[in-house]
Amino acid sequence: MGNVIDISRLYKSYFMDGGLEQKVLKDVNFSVQKGEFVAIMGPSGSGKSTLMNILGCLDRPTEGSYVLDGKEVSGLNDNQLAAVRNSKIGFVFQNFNLLMRRSIADNVSLPLIYAGKNDAYRRERAMVYIRKMNLDGYEDRMPNQLSGGMQQRVAIARALVNEPQIIFADEPTGNLDSKTSDEIMTLFTELNKDGKTIVLVTHEPDVAMYADRLIRISDGQKEYDGSVRAYMERTS
Amino acid sequence: MIWLIIKEAWLSLSSHKLRSFLTTLGIIIGVSAVVMMVAAGQTVSLVINNSFASMGGNLLMIHPSFVVTSGIKSGQRPSITAADVEATKTLRGVEAAAPIVRATAQGVYGANNWAVSIRGTTPDLITVNKWEIERGEPFTEKDVKSASPYVLIGSTTANELFGFADPVGQTIRIKNVPFKVVGLLASKGQDLMGNDQDDVILMPYTTVRQRIQGSRIPDRVHFGYIKVADDEDLEAAANRVKMLLRSRHNIKEGHDDDFEVMNMTAMVNTIKTVGLVLSILLAAIASISLIVGSIGIMNMMLVSVTERTREIGIRKALGAENRWIMLQFLTESIMISFMGSILGLFIGITTSQIVGYIMEYKVPISIWPIILSFSVAVIVGVLSGIIPAYKAMKLDPIEALRYQ
Ligand SMILES: Nc1ncnc2c1ncn2[C@@H]1O[C@H](COP(=O)(O)OP(=O)(O)O)[C@@H](O)[C@H]1O
Ligand SMILES: [Mg+2]
Repeated sequence: MGNVIDISRLYKSYFMDGGLEQKVLKDVNFSVQKGEFVAIMGPSGSGKSTLMNILGCLDRPTEGSYVLDGKEVSGLNDNQLAAVRNSKIGFVFQNFNLLMRRSIADNVSLPLIYAGKNDAYRRERAMVYIRKMNLDGYEDRMPNQLSGGMQQRVAIARALVNEPQIIFADEPTGNLDSKTSDEIMTLFTELNKDGKTIVLVTHEPDVAMYADRLIRISDGQKEYDGSVRAYMERTS
Repeated sequence: MIWLIIKEAWLSLSSHKLRSFLTTLGIIIGVSAVVMMVAAGQTVSLVINNSFASMGGNLLMIHPSFVVTSGIKSGQRPSITAADVEATKTLRGVEAAAPIVRATAQGVYGANNWAVSIRGTTPDLITVNKWEIERGEPFTEKDVKSASPYVLIGSTTANELFGFADPVGQTIRIKNVPFKVVGLLASKGQDLMGNDQDDVILMPYTTVRQRIQGSRIPDRVHFGYIKVADDEDLEAAANRVKMLLRSRHNIKEGHDDDFEVMNMTAMVNTIKTVGLVLSILLAAIASISLIVGSIGIMNMMLVSVTERTREIGIRKALGAENRWIMLQFLTESIMISFMGSILGLFIGITTSQIVGYIMEYKVPISIWPIILSFSVAVIVGVLSGIIPAYKAMKLDPIEALRYQ
């Protein structure tokens, strides 16, 4: 099939100090096809970030299966997961997560260091995506010399630089004003049109409207899975 | 790849310049202290060994005992004679013995004046104290008997009186008496106390007593050196000398000696041991500052890991494997200890050479403290970096990304 993500019977529990189990994700199942643009919504504390961390291979499920790009990843060790993150996944975070003491070019090319690429290649690839994000001329600046929207574009360039299959974004517009949010979401839409699979978490319906498909999580369980438009029409 | 890691480490360290510098300073101080203390220890040993070699081995010294009045050494009984010293040569194991009479007087050659320190002795002293004659001949036993005005001159005294001219065959005047320079002594350098051993004139003791001191008791001497064969037990020989002198001085059972026999070799060995212990102690104290320096590195790296928790999270999220994180922090700590030890070596060697130059000691530069410092630097870097690097490696990326 053309599935990039396949999760089935996914459980995630946190264990409190007293050994008390807190089930955060309960029997979550869904697939994402190549080229889809999915928004994940849900109330605060419902488990969205937990789900994203597992999808992004930063964490392992307690139970269940996660097949990413045709490969089961739920049993991989730390280093194997790091390699998967490096080659298949691009992250965009709410608080940008740039290295503040490194130049824009250094930040964008960072994933290529861990991919074992040489200096010249890293610089060249970084410049390609810096240009693509309309950041020409800023490559030698430091992140704190840039506006929030520009910093998020640096983060997107960094997410793209190793040409991953999927972009995961956890509240990517959470720290931006609405005009800048629209700019960033337009960028995601363009990337999606170019064929990138995008999964983003948001609690703003306006942002979710840019996606094609909506998965709603409530109390650790999938509550809705379908077209964004249909859901919005039903609730309004 | 290795260059990339080094470049990354350099960038991280230079983004906290003052902190990195202060931490490096700890290692600089530690390494330079070790280098300087080792150099000091080696210099002391060198000086001790040289002066021991120039004094001659397996040596006894006899001198009159001190007169003690109300607890204070108030003088010496003039008890030792040249005949006493000569008599010890009949004892088993004694190879040579030389009496010494000390005197200081003004020496004159042409327009040059110099206060010369004179040793009156016998030709045996050349063997006993390992003097070498660079040019000319020593005076002889016959010269001693006839109190001939023949002298051997040390290189410093020769320089002061003759400049660059050859002293051998020339005549100098001491207390208006002419003396013929029959030989020039080879240079010995400084003794243990830093005295110049070449500022000396040797002549027959009889000559000193009669022609310079004009003494009525020509046989009295200040002290005597006795050279014992190298395979003889020095303590046993000292006892035999003691028995001989007691009988020569008619000292009855139960009465105190009027002389002392000193075991010079044992004394020098004691000084050698003290010197060695001292240099080990100095090096040990200096090593403590190196340990303190490495604790400084560990402290800085621990702070750095905590501060950079988020950075570690980002790097992990972007695909950094554990060994990358580990290497990054280890490289930083090794880089600090490495730079610190290069600078410390440079400062330590330069300082000890300058101090040696000022104090007129030859300070050796040996290779092993350099090699040792470098190995220690790498070990210190690894040891003080390993705990922080491990801590960084073990961070959970999700927790690390959430860190504010
Ligand atoms: N590391 C953790 N340890 C314990 N509980 C956690 C941990 N991370 C998240 N949780 C809990 O799991 C639940 C879901 O959290 P999260 O996935 O962050 O929700 P969301 O992103 O939807 O707001 C919350 O109740 C939260 O307290
Ligand atoms: Mg969240």
